[in-house]
Amino acid sequence: MRRFVQVTFLATVFVFIPASASAAEEVPVHEILELGPELAGEEVIAEGELIGDYGFREDGSMWTQLNGDAYVDRPLREGGPPVGANAGIALTMPAELAEALDPPGGYRNRGPVVRVTGIWKYHDSRRPGESYLEVQSLTVTEPGRQLDERVNSTVVILGAVFLAGACIVALLTRPED
Amino acid sequence: MLIRPVAEDFRVIGFYMGRIFLVVAAASLLPLIWAGIAREWHPFGSFLLMTGVFALLGVAGHRLAPEESELDWSHGMVVVALTWLIVPIIGAIPLLLSGHFGWPLDAFFDAMSGLTTTGLSLLSDVDHLASSLNFWRHFLQFLGGQGIILAALTIFAGTGGITLYFGEARDERILPSVTSTARFIWAVSVVHLIFGVTALGLVGWLVLGFDLDRSIFHGLMIFFAGFDTGGFSPQSTSIGYYHSAIFEGVTALLMVAGAMSFGLHYAMWRGPRRRVFANLETRTILSTFGFTMVLTLLGLATTGLFVNVAGLTRQGFFQILSAHTGTGFSTVPSAELAKWGGLAFGGMAIAMALGGMGSSTAGGVKSLRIGLTIKAVVNQIRQVLLPEHALVGTAYQQSGRKHLTPALVQSVMIISLLYVALYLLGAGIGLAYGIPLQESLFESVSASANVGLSVGVTDPSMPILLELTYMVQMWAGRLEFVAVFSLLGFFYAWVRGK
Repeated sequence: MRRFVQVTFLATVFVFIPASASAAEEVPVHEILELGPELAGEEVIAEGELIGDYGFREDGSMWTQLNGDAYVDRPLREGGPPVGANAGIALTMPAELAEALDPPGGYRNRGPVVRVTGIWKYHDSRRPGESYLEVQSLTVTEPGRQLDERVNSTVVILGAVFLAGACIVALLTRPED
Repeated sequence: MLIRPVAEDFRVIGFYMGRIFLVVAAASLLPLIWAGIAREWHPFGSFLLMTGVFALLGVAGHRLAPEESELDWSHGMVVVALTWLIVPIIGAIPLLLSGHFGWPLDAFFDAMSGLTTTGLSLLSDVDHLASSLNFWRHFLQFLGGQGIILAALTIFAGTGGITLYFGEARDERILPSVTSTARFIWAVSVVHLIFGVTALGLVGWLVLGFDLDRSIFHGLMIFFAGFDTGGFSPQSTSIGYYHSAIFEGVTALLMVAGAMSFGLHYAMWRGPRRRVFANLETRTILSTFGFTMVLTLLGLATTGLFVNVAGLTRQGFFQILSAHTGTGFSTVPSAELAKWGGLAFGGMAIAMALGGMGSSTAGGVKSLRIGLTIKAVVNQIRQVLLPEHALVGTAYQQSGRKHLTPALVQSVMIISLLYVALYLLGAGIGLAYGIPLQESLFESVSASANVGLSVGVTDPSMPILLELTYMVQMWAGRLEFVAVFSLLGFFYAWVRGK
């Protein structure tokens, strides 16, 4: 009897746990922004670049932003076209989850691309009116990387010429005292 | 008969513009130095170019040295209107070269939006923008909010200052001379800068857990955009990025300080504070804020977007304060703001249209004009109802006892009507492009009143005519029309005058 109970329990676990995990739906970030209220309280999977800052707070949580836009795959500095504003949502997670992450995205680097599973909190009552994804699990799908900076020497030379021109004009036309 | 401007007129205008460009060239050394320290060499080159252009134009203009350097009203107004057009054109150079814009007009749009403290943006991928470029965008809002002409006046005292001062939509001289008034305004701003950046930086570092340098960076950017009611932010999610009620609270205080007239700042610093609340303008803005707040909260309650009162009040309060002060910060995405229909939309649109106080960094019709209009209408009704020979009181309190004269009423009505026309112009063009009425009106009011809240119409894919319209709205709205009409009149006289 005891063995029967054990087998039944394990079977239940194997049948229902994968089922509940697969219930989490993958939703692009821009859709989370558009469908905000409809997804409230639901478990969602989102993918994108961690951007801005990692804010490690006193309560042991870490806050950052997840961008899921065209610049994740094709950053402007690597020749991607400017196609408009970013699409980002806030993420919060236990600080331990964020300890090994590469620096967040910014001017100098493309942040790590992650796949996160979490509960979408829409105008959460615990944090009056805030919307964010409470992350339960995180997988890094692509590590962060540095973005190259190419200096346009023509612009620098032109700038120096204009400044020198201003100085020369100022000196040549200086009124006599 | 219109008199055609002669060479001497152009020399006077060029001379004063040259002086202002020299001041802007000096100011543009700041982002150049920032880029150098941050070792952002690509933006460094573009800042060098921008500074060079400002300096060359400044020196060239200054060397025009007219025989008679007295600046009359028409010259002063033309100088102001042209300066507010040319500074964003040159100021757009680093933005354009950053690669974050599809074409030059978009970069010009952002520079104009920055200088006029509007906050609408066509910038792509702000989250990867160089810190020095972010500094420049926010510093443009600081320069525009304080007034670039005011900056020049602080340095170049002299004849004609009063013309330039009033041309930049300031209708109150706080101290006897324009130069001392300009210096007082800068003193107020520097005090707020120190307290604002310190407070925001400490919140960022101690509460939000950001690195110290990033905390100071965020504090400085949000100060520039908050105190000058500009609305740009260093991250794409605006103030929603910080997820902190304390951060929002400090930002709200800065927005209120920015929307207060500098005359009121002076009264609060020097005079008895209770007199501040006797002012018609203070009473008007408190009433309109209360009214639009109630309207918006009622509207939001009916949308069902919020599950509790605390959330509704926090989000509603911040959004309506941002709209009324003309700042344009938000804690909710544009996609959600677009869903705020009915009363919430009405409350937000009215708050944006009314704007902050006169002689502040805010835009819109302005509270004093609203108060005076209401007083004039009430007086008119009382005149009709009372016996024929009864006298209706015309006194009101505004930094002392003043009288509502027919000339004042006429001037107030004209400017207020021009604002309404400007709001309708942008809304009409938006409608012509098939944008729904609510969104067209919201975005048009936002541009004209220099607010910067968006429901998503402002986008790099927007029609060029609509983009140009918003730029004209931002420019005319910031200068409160007079300087713009003077410039148009000047060009008309140049072409058709005798």
